[in-house]
Amino acid sequence: MTTKLELSLQEPASVAVECRDLCLTIKKKAILDRISFQIPSGSLTGLLGPNGAGKSSLLRIVAGLAQGDSGTVQLFGKPAGPERLGELSLLPDRSNLPGWLRVDEWLHYAAGIYPDWSKSRAGELLSELSVSPHTRISSMSRGEEARLQLLTCLSRTAPLIILDEPFTGIDLLSRERIAAAVVGELADSKRTVLVATHDIREMELLFDRLILIGGGRIRSVDDVDALRQSGQSVESRYREVFA
Amino acid sequence: MEPTAELLPQHFQINPSLPIYEQFVEAIRRRIVCGAIPPGMRLPSVRELAAARGVNPTTAARTYQELERSGLIVTYRGQGTFVTRDGDIITDARRAIAVQAVRDFFEAAASLGLTAEQMLNMYREDSHDNEA
Repeated sequence: MTTKLELSLQEPASVAVECRDLCLTIKKKAILDRISFQIPSGSLTGLLGPNGAGKSSLLRIVAGLAQGDSGTVQLFGKPAGPERLGELSLLPDRSNLPGWLRVDEWLHYAAGIYPDWSKSRAGELLSELSVSPHTRISSMSRGEEARLQLLTCLSRTAPLIILDEPFTGIDLLSRERIAAAVVGELADSKRTVLVATHDIREMELLFDRLILIGGGRIRSVDDVDALRQSGQSVESRYREVFA
Repeated sequence: MEPTAELLPQHFQINPSLPIYEQFVEAIRRRIVCGAIPPGMRLPSVRELAAARGVNPTTAARTYQELERSGLIVTYRGQGTFVTRDGDIITDARRAIAVQAVRDFFEAAASLGLTAEQMLNMYREDSHDNEA
């Protein structure tokens, strides 16, 4: 694959995530079929594909919450697994925050759970994402709760951030705030961000790398700037690949 | 007081099918040349620009790199990035944009099988008709 070659020529030492021939079969159905790709450190990579493409399964394996049947996954050059959970911050597709807590109570609790919690970052994100510390979580709107989830995810200092569908069911203004917070994160700390989404238009200006997955297979890996140099957008590439 | 202005128009439309930093560079260059962004103005940080426009920080960084290469903006270590106060650089940039516009005009004429003079005459006749 040319993309692989290009990468290894550019920066051999700074690969954040590498999958090689990753396979996962459930009930005789191939959920992931020989998945191979690399994500360079410091990039904001979009993992895009139709529903049921295997995005969430792939992210769970990268995060160490599940295992593949064969193949390898490496984070920063060492095998992925549950013992690497401290090195990544995952925003799961569906998650529930404890509704009986107030935001400030939850953040206090989270600071106790995560050894890499940054209290100052959490404070900044409260205002950036317009989350009020005294609101009870159960009384929050969907958009507010999603912003609180992202806040929780970004208040950690782990070098890899994985966001699974951060925009589902969220209003436009929340989306913009979330996108801006992710940008800030990337600019400040050279962290690596991997985002699975099917909201292409919300995110396409943010990605510098694009992985398209469909039917459990990698359909393409692109450098987004190179796509634009050839007159293609993320969206048109997506249409081309999945048409 | 420090001069301030929006780096890009508030509703600047990004074309997602072309390199974004090129669109930013082009728009900012024009705004500096026409004075919409005053000489000496401090530019937002790469992070601020990227967050405000919802683009990848690399895009913002590349935009500044390109503008710095042309001398239109200058970075002072520890202080930030500013629009140049060098009038000659701004004049040169204005000239380059003007020359390019005329070149585009000649190209448009050629693509229609016309000379620039013929195309100008058409324009004059048309405006004359409209006035009458």
